[in-house]
Amino acid sequence: MTNKNRFTTLFSRFGSGTDQTDTIMKPEKKPPLGTMFWVSVGWVCLNIFLAITANLLPLKDPIAQDYNAISVGPSMHYLLGTDDIGRDILSRIIFGSRISIAVSFGAMFIAFGIGAPAAMLAALRRGRFDTILTTVMYSLLAFPAIIATISVLSFWVPRNLLKVIVVIGIASTPLVYRVIRTASLAVAGRDFVTAAKVQGATDRRILIKEILPNIMPILLSFLLIGIASVVALEGALAFLGLSITPPTPSWGNMINESRTVMSTNPGLVIFPSLALCLFILSLNFIGDRLRNYFDVAEVKI
Amino acid sequence: MTNELLEVKNLCTTFATAGGDLRAVDNVSFTLGADETLGIVGESGSGKTVLARTIMGLQARRNATVAGSVKINGAEVIGTSEQQKREIWGTEVAMIFQDPMTSLNPVMRIGHQVDETLRIRMGMSKDEAKKRAIELLGLVGIPSPEERYDVFPSELSGGMRQRVVIATALACSPKLVLADEPTTGLDVTIQAQILNLLDELKEKLKMSVVLITHDLGVVATRTSRIIVMYAGRIVEIGSTQDIFKEHRMPYTRALLESAPKVSNPSHTRLVTIAGRPPNLLALENGCAFAPRCTYATEKCHNERPVLEATGNDGHMFACWNPLTTRRGEV
Repeated sequence: MTNKNRFTTLFSRFGSGTDQTDTIMKPEKKPPLGTMFWVSVGWVCLNIFLAITANLLPLKDPIAQDYNAISVGPSMHYLLGTDDIGRDILSRIIFGSRISIAVSFGAMFIAFGIGAPAAMLAALRRGRFDTILTTVMYSLLAFPAIIATISVLSFWVPRNLLKVIVVIGIASTPLVYRVIRTASLAVAGRDFVTAAKVQGATDRRILIKEILPNIMPILLSFLLIGIASVVALEGALAFLGLSITPPTPSWGNMINESRTVMSTNPGLVIFPSLALCLFILSLNFIGDRLRNYFDVAEVKI
Repeated sequence: MTNELLEVKNLCTTFATAGGDLRAVDNVSFTLGADETLGIVGESGSGKTVLARTIMGLQARRNATVAGSVKINGAEVIGTSEQQKREIWGTEVAMIFQDPMTSLNPVMRIGHQVDETLRIRMGMSKDEAKKRAIELLGLVGIPSPEERYDVFPSELSGGMRQRVVIATALACSPKLVLADEPTTGLDVTIQAQILNLLDELKEKLKMSVVLITHDLGVVATRTSRIIVMYAGRIVEIGSTQDIFKEHRMPYTRALLESAPKVSNPSHTRLVTIAGRPPNLLALENGCAFAPRCTYATEKCHNERPVLEATGNDGHMFACWNPLTTRRGEV
């Protein structure tokens, strides 16, 4: 960007808030999102693509044991090597990503499905409905989510994917509620919501057309950060043996199993950790970048 | 009296605050006929906005209680459910808000903000609504409305945005429009444009307008009647002519005198009204303006004046020591 360009952008941004000339302004160009953003998007998409198509890919069976190749390092045959009972690490990582992705997306679907509409409605209606709901949600929030999920999952056996999703989803709902309610409150108090109301719009319409689009940036970035935290949480639960039952691989239980052979077979702990780490990092980065991106637009409005 | 479009009777809005009950609108009664423009003037905090919101049936705050009656085209507003109010909102009565920067949804294309109402209230199809929305945008003076239909509010200037706000409010041809300081956020040349536009549309669409402002210059040429409010009460009401030329209430005179005049030589000190607007939580028994009034007597501090009719039709004032008119009437 040239100096002159920067100046005019700065100037017009300054002016648009208080601009009083009766003219039509040209739309401004937003700053680009940057290469790292697109690399992160690519990485997350690749992970999701591999997880979905894992069955169709020329991968080895993630639970088949090859007794002729126990704890071998990376080779042409086993690209990332094998674990201590001869299973292909690459295949296990890819199949393991299915659990992480399914749990994180599923749990966030539940948390946002319950938390977001409730929060928006509470922010719009206020009054007793808001008071009661917010008190309940904040009380739940006072209880650490990780302790809650650990205790529920250790009693609710046999564990399966659906139970893990439901427990994490419900445990994350209060957090989603708090963030979305705060964002919605700021929007619901603005004149255009009242204006829509006195034009005869119903609450439902106001939620969908007025409030939801205005909290979308916050909702989206929080959703991505939420997914990242659930991937980490599932990893932690799996590490404690409270997620999917082995031998089904997940990133968390792979790290857990590799603990004992860490010194002899470092690839077994490094590769799943790297997969987990990069996936979370990418999601956080996308969420963060998007938030900044939309914040700029917010200033202009 | 049933032929009046707007009938406000003994309207009171009280806020329950930590410091006690605050009466923002105190026993306000007036009527407004069809095709009439009524100005409501007063200082900041005199209850103009709360009055407008109460007339709309919007509860300003959760701690507000409303007493009295507001009838719009014969239909009672006070005490009805939100669903019943939705029946008249948009089609009978519409409101234009103060700040065009915040009264448009920043992430919705302006065309959609206009045709949204047409679709939900008038049951128009998507294409019909779009056509009508473009017509409306043209009507409020937006150049090349077909192209502007798809822009976002942030791409428009304040004056243009206020035009869009007006188009939205008028979409369902309401019979009554409440304009709450519609030009406060705009500069003077645009103010005149917007006010002239409102005037023009009022004639064209045969509606009544309540114009709320703190600027007497705004209401001088555009209204047929004016209400002067002070501390939540009506202190003087009358035809524009009476208010400007034959006002009886000292507050009205003070307001008129505090407007700068072009004919004054430069560097003339601006006339101000001494003192500050009263604390509504600690009102005296008497006239609320008494502490600032140069004509105040013992009686003014102890007894509240009631609205009293003058000889002129519909001209009423609340004052124990009214000013004499040019004709020397008392």
